[in-house]
Amino acid sequence: MKSLVKILSRYVLSAAATAIILLIINFTVLTVWLYQSASEYGKNYTVAQMAEELTESEGRYSLSESVARELKNKQQWAMLIDEKGAVAWSTDLPSDVPLYYKLTEVAGLSRWYLKDYPVKVWQHENGLFVVGSPKNSMWKIGLELPMKLVNNSEILIPALLILNLITAVLLALLFGYRLFLALKKLTTGIEDLARMQPVALPAQGILGDLATGINHASAQLIRQESALNKRDNARTTWIAGISHDIRTPLSVIMGYAGQMEEDNTLNKKQQELAVTIRIQCQKIKALINDLNLTSKLEYDMQPIRKEEFLLAPLIRSIVAELLNSNCSPRHTLSLSIDENAQNISITGDSQLIKRAITNIILNSIRHNPGGCDITIQLNAESGTTFLSVTDNGTGFPVQTLKRLNHPREPMELDNHGLGLTIVRQILKAHNGTASFSNLTGSGCRVTLALPGKP
Amino acid sequence: MNDIFDCKLLLVDDEPELRRMVGSMLRQSGFKKIISAADCSHARLLFTSEKPDGVILDVSLPDGDGFSLMREFRSISGAPVLFLSARDEDENRLLGLGLGADDYITKPFLPRELILRLHAVLNRTYFPVVLNQKEKPVFYLGKTMIDLNSGSITSVKGTFTLTAKEYALLEKLFDNKEKIVTGDSLCLAAWGDPLYGYENTLMVHIRRLREKIEPEPSDPEFLITVRGLGYKLVGVTSS
Repeated sequence: MKSLVKILSRYVLSAAATAIILLIINFTVLTVWLYQSASEYGKNYTVAQMAEELTESEGRYSLSESVARELKNKQQWAMLIDEKGAVAWSTDLPSDVPLYYKLTEVAGLSRWYLKDYPVKVWQHENGLFVVGSPKNSMWKIGLELPMKLVNNSEILIPALLILNLITAVLLALLFGYRLFLALKKLTTGIEDLARMQPVALPAQGILGDLATGINHASAQLIRQESALNKRDNARTTWIAGISHDIRTPLSVIMGYAGQMEEDNTLNKKQQELAVTIRIQCQKIKALINDLNLTSKLEYDMQPIRKEEFLLAPLIRSIVAELLNSNCSPRHTLSLSIDENAQNISITGDSQLIKRAITNIILNSIRHNPGGCDITIQLNAESGTTFLSVTDNGTGFPVQTLKRLNHPREPMELDNHGLGLTIVRQILKAHNGTASFSNLTGSGCRVTLALPGKP
Repeated sequence: MNDIFDCKLLLVDDEPELRRMVGSMLRQSGFKKIISAADCSHARLLFTSEKPDGVILDVSLPDGDGFSLMREFRSISGAPVLFLSARDEDENRLLGLGLGADDYITKPFLPRELILRLHAVLNRTYFPVVLNQKEKPVFYLGKTMIDLNSGSITSVKGTFTLTAKEYALLEKLFDNKEKIVTGDSLCLAAWGDPLYGYENTLMVHIRRLREKIEPEPSDPEFLITVRGLGYKLVGVTSS
């Protein structure tokens, strides 16, 4: 609507401007022309002046030198018709002009033409003075207007101008509206383009080329989008397929290793080797699961079961579970939950959030085999919930820290595995962020920010 | 059928090596009657002719998927089905769609895990709780005897009876003895709600419980507080 008003006002303004400029140009030209004619007029003799320059003395007429010259210059001729209708005097009179006139003929020639010669007449003391110009040199019209019209011209001329103005404005509005309709189609087309919707605009009218261009761009974009999706899909499917294929043989290895572990006919050494095989198999299993999850999260193919849940009990259960599993006596876990964060609820997949928090804590444990103190803190601040996991261990290697905070390649493996990459991806899927930092002195901190409701 | 080891088991998986491994695993744990199939059609044949008491079923089979095969089996008999799956998505389908599988295990798995789950599934089907209902435990905390059948406590201080809430709390703690039980799960067990709003009530009940079971309630040695998390029952003995 705003654009319609804009277009229409521009159109009306430009129409008005055009009209005004045209008026000014016309008026100027007219003025210049009139002025020039007037100055020309002043230089030349009028027919009245010429008549006066024809003098009679003792029955003989004589024309002044200057008038005679001007007549010659203009190839004009002149004559004097006396009271009886006969030509009493003439100069350069063409042969086809008669020398005697009746009253009716005089009435005819007085205003128009005499034998196709345009003529002007003026009264002379001895008759009628006639000046003729060459044939076809002058166009004469008679102007007759009703007096009423002339009297009302003060009203009629402005009225006519106003009528013209209104017509101009209406035409401008009509054309502006048509342009708006054409542009509107293009605008929706471009909006669809931005939303990756297929666009098919009618390629007609003045904006036809533009519409064709937009249609083309849309087709191109959709082609690229689907190609990209196909590639992402292929990558995820490929990873899912590989991990599926690895799982069955891994089951066999793990199964036999498990059996050997409990086989009392084997000696202790052999049983210990079986334990190692089993543990390594479990690591591969965890790696496969991580790889699958990270590739699905990266391309938004992980189904996220959204539900509202309380964060504080989840964190308590995670910490209790880790303490109960008794993973290492060298590590301490302490938890502090702010009073205002006790009742914070999160909308999301509680299993994935649990996975993220567990990953962070396990990462601290794994990378500080000598032991460290791990502190988990939860607090809330104006709609955002902050969960931080801090340890006093060795901290992140500089490269790892850089990669974690500024990820470029989505799935990059290093000695930290995929655990922390998955943390970042899970938080992203929940409209949250994960930031990783090293503390001065020793240790590191991972802070998760999540939108939460009190 | 006297025990679950009398059950006839049908094992369906397209990988021969895995069938051999699982088969030997089952035999080692005591199952005697094990038949196996490599695909849906053979499994169908065996299911109708042999009438197995339990099925271990791979989700992806060369001539169909395990889910629809299970639905066919369900229309014939009520034998429990335990799924073996090699895909993450199957977990979602099993959880989300409620297909009626009795349990599932994702590959790779440990022999003991499979055996334990199989036992649970077979026990549930053929030896349900009514038959299986054992006596509630009787245990000691130092010199104090706790009988969960009568909900009574006998110590040097005398004999007490547990209130319903105290009983619920103590049973939950005993089921997870030597482990931290969060305040949330204790409240869930006693009041059916998580912790928030119940902290003080929980503390009051724990104090009363301590008065009954601890020789020195102000300095507890069996019902330990784990600050910020919950409680832990330690030092449980059977005599």
